[in-house]
Amino acid sequence: MTLFRTHLYEEHVKLGAKLVPFAGWEMPVQYTSVKDEALAVRNDVGVFDVSHMGEFFVEGKDAEKFVDHLVTNDILGAPVGKAVYSPLCRENGTVIDDLIVYKLASGRVLICVNASNIDKDFQWMKSKHQGFDCSFTNKSNEYSLLALQGPRAFSVLKPLLKDLSDIEYYSVVESAYENHKVILARTGYTGEDGFEIFASHDCIKALWQKMMTLKVTPCGLASRDVLRLEVCYPLYGHELNDEVNPFDAGLSWTVKLSKTNFIGKAALAPKPTRFKLVKLTLDKGIPREGYPVLNSKNETVGIVTSGTMSVVLNKGVALARIDIDKVPQDEVFLVDIRQKPYAAQLVKKPFVTGGHK
Amino acid sequence: MATNIPQNLKYTKEHEWALVEGDTVTIGITDFAQSALGDIVFLEVPDVGSELKAGATFGVVESIKSVSDLYSPVTGEVVTKNSDVEGSPEKINSDAYGAWLIKVKVKDQNELKNLLTADQYQEFCNTSH
Repeated sequence: MTLFRTHLYEEHVKLGAKLVPFAGWEMPVQYTSVKDEALAVRNDVGVFDVSHMGEFFVEGKDAEKFVDHLVTNDILGAPVGKAVYSPLCRENGTVIDDLIVYKLASGRVLICVNASNIDKDFQWMKSKHQGFDCSFTNKSNEYSLLALQGPRAFSVLKPLLKDLSDIEYYSVVESAYENHKVILARTGYTGEDGFEIFASHDCIKALWQKMMTLKVTPCGLASRDVLRLEVCYPLYGHELNDEVNPFDAGLSWTVKLSKTNFIGKAALAPKPTRFKLVKLTLDKGIPREGYPVLNSKNETVGIVTSGTMSVVLNKGVALARIDIDKVPQDEVFLVDIRQKPYAAQLVKKPFVTGGHK
Repeated sequence: MATNIPQNLKYTKEHEWALVEGDTVTIGITDFAQSALGDIVFLEVPDVGSELKAGATFGVVESIKSVSDLYSPVTGEVVTKNSDVEGSPEKINSDAYGAWLIKVKVKDQNELKNLLTADQYQEFCNTSH
């Protein structure tokens, strides 16, 4: 299979990036060091090429109504200019994808979806489109996307973008870079302050090159995964998949049962929960996806859905899916690493507190 | 990839190096391997007295994102391990040939013939990834 390349491919090669196949794309996994890249985002500023992600546009009188019907979170109730994170569910409540809905203007909505799910999501949404007075278009091929993340993100971007006011966290504005239109959102996947910039391929290439002159650290997907895991953001294919519902992944806050109706409401109304997603830290050993999670009697109670070494804590961290009827009362968890049990500590708050506003 | 491959060492196709001194072999991982792995954050090697078998796994090295098995170049008994490097595995990134992992007392000297020379390993690195 031929892999897609983003319009920044040549830039990545020039920077010496290690490129790997990801969701059908040849993407930079790291440039210099995963640790240095992750720490640049925590302490300074880094930029990710996430052009592989999908962009759908919904335009017309019923745009908000259509999207509100599709997703579990509240879209109609959010003001224009807000971004809303939400799962997209089937009638039976299982998760098709998780996505961000951007309310650009009245009757104009952008939906940003995971690269691996573009076709699946589009087909699904298209099949539910009938009866709504709005257009629904997949413009994933027309847009590139940069995520500029870290405490210095605002000061890097301010001189570059026209009329960049102090937009709030999880808000979106339409702005411009030189003569290019851009959609600028104060969102991200790292827990730090930062922006996601949707624009034409030429504009994104120019912005990327400009950022490289401003000592912004280019960051690959490996550091992005460490950063999102440190702040406990779920990743589709790991914490979320076609088999689980939002409650199983600790996303009850994204299911607004007070909404009149949405796809999956009937199934989700009784809050059916088969799993509990827990946060674990390990002083010794590094938990990895697929490792069994044990109780104090060494019985398997669940499985690690994502695990890594935290660059901030310098210890192993994991999200783990525990069978709801096997959650140990004594809160003792162990992770089976190569047939040896390692003690894990259950934590209630994200491993790292990001600096986003 | 430009990589450092000292002439005085022997190598495996799994990217371990071996320094042969009499019947003692010092084992580590190559510069090529540390570069491919990236930031090394965890190392698990057997205790002194453990028996190793040539070609079998004897430990694990982990970077932030990945887990890789270590394969023994020789059969024999572990006589020393480098607890300094076990405690600070990032030393492998800065000096792959200084940061040795274990020393093994070799059972069968004939096995050493199966290991790659520096030139053979260089060739192997050039043709595989």
